[in-house]
Amino acid sequence: MQIEKEISKKIVRDIAISIFLYALPVLLMLLSFYITGERPWQNSKPAQLQLSK
Amino acid sequence: MKFIEDIFNHLNGWGLTALTLILGACEFAYGLYANKWSKNERTLDIVSFIIPKFITRPFIAYVGLLYLPVLFPGGKNMFSWVPFWWGFFIIAVADDLTQYWYHRLHHQVPWLWRFHRTHHSANYMGMAMASRQNFIYTIFFSQIYLTTALVYLGLGYSALFVTVTKSLIVMGAHSSIKWDKPFYKYKILRPFAWVLERLISTPATHHAHHADTHGDGVGYYKGNFGNMFFLWDIIFGTGIITRQYPESYGIKHYKQEEWYAQFLWPIFKSKKQGSELAANGPMVGDAEEVVPEVTARENEIFDNVFIIPS
Repeated sequence: MQIEKEISKKIVRDIAISIFLYALPVLLMLLSFYITGERPWQNSKPAQLQLSK
Repeated sequence: MKFIEDIFNHLNGWGLTALTLILGACEFAYGLYANKWSKNERTLDIVSFIIPKFITRPFIAYVGLLYLPVLFPGGKNMFSWVPFWWGFFIIAVADDLTQYWYHRLHHQVPWLWRFHRTHHSANYMGMAMASRQNFIYTIFFSQIYLTTALVYLGLGYSALFVTVTKSLIVMGAHSSIKWDKPFYKYKILRPFAWVLERLISTPATHHAHHADTHGDGVGYYKGNFGNMFFLWDIIFGTGIITRQYPESYGIKHYKQEEWYAQFLWPIFKSKKQGSELAANGPMVGDAEEVVPEVTARENEIFDNVFIIPS
């Protein structure tokens, strides 16, 4: 049984839109950093190694 | 904030399981399953609830956190600098949009349908069937893969809040308790309802997806795919909003297939003749279904339906 042509067309179109939707929150976050001048990654500490004595 | 954090931590630990059991007991006590919970259905619902929650997910989380440091040694807490609410927003979109696609493809690609059929075979709605899924469907898309990776990358706190929020919304959408009814009934709440039903899945929109009818003005099993967010159905034109609830649920061609065949198809096949889950069964049982003509009465119903253009 084959997938309907109309449906497969819509799937391709909607996947293209989804790529933009996935990126949108990341782009908005970067835009907010650009506007506010925040650089939170500069203050982050590297992961600490847990050493047992 | 500490108080909210504690609530979410407890919900993620034991709270959601307890809440599901309490809501399920309430639904059962109020007779919302209306004697539809046969031994076969009951076994399937309980097995689908217990195995992923207590065996599959803990196993994936354990193995993931054991091997992620070996595979990506520099990745630990790599994104811990991402502010909480941005992390929440990014994960909510990534998680729920992926689940929307996973769900939609299982309805629109014929050979995938039988992996998702188990979730639709119940002729009732409620907590008992909310986690009812074929095992293969569960292991190929489990939120736990994403959550495990995000915890390792340092976004565990945001992931925890998304997981709990999503679970509460999805639970509420599957419940037979129609909590959204007052929002449609009282005029003062209607503007809020307008936003709510477009943003998240509600019993009205998600029950329509579980209806055994399509295109009668209420039932809409070929759409309304959203899990946490209904917004995806609005954007892609795959949903309808009617503010009504279907009269019956499930699939018309359901043959009460054995619980083990529904849970573990294609490893176990059904012995029921003509079943989609039988060895020589059809890929989609209702493929030849004739769409009924819309009657005058149904046209009246359609007047109150909001159809999203695709």
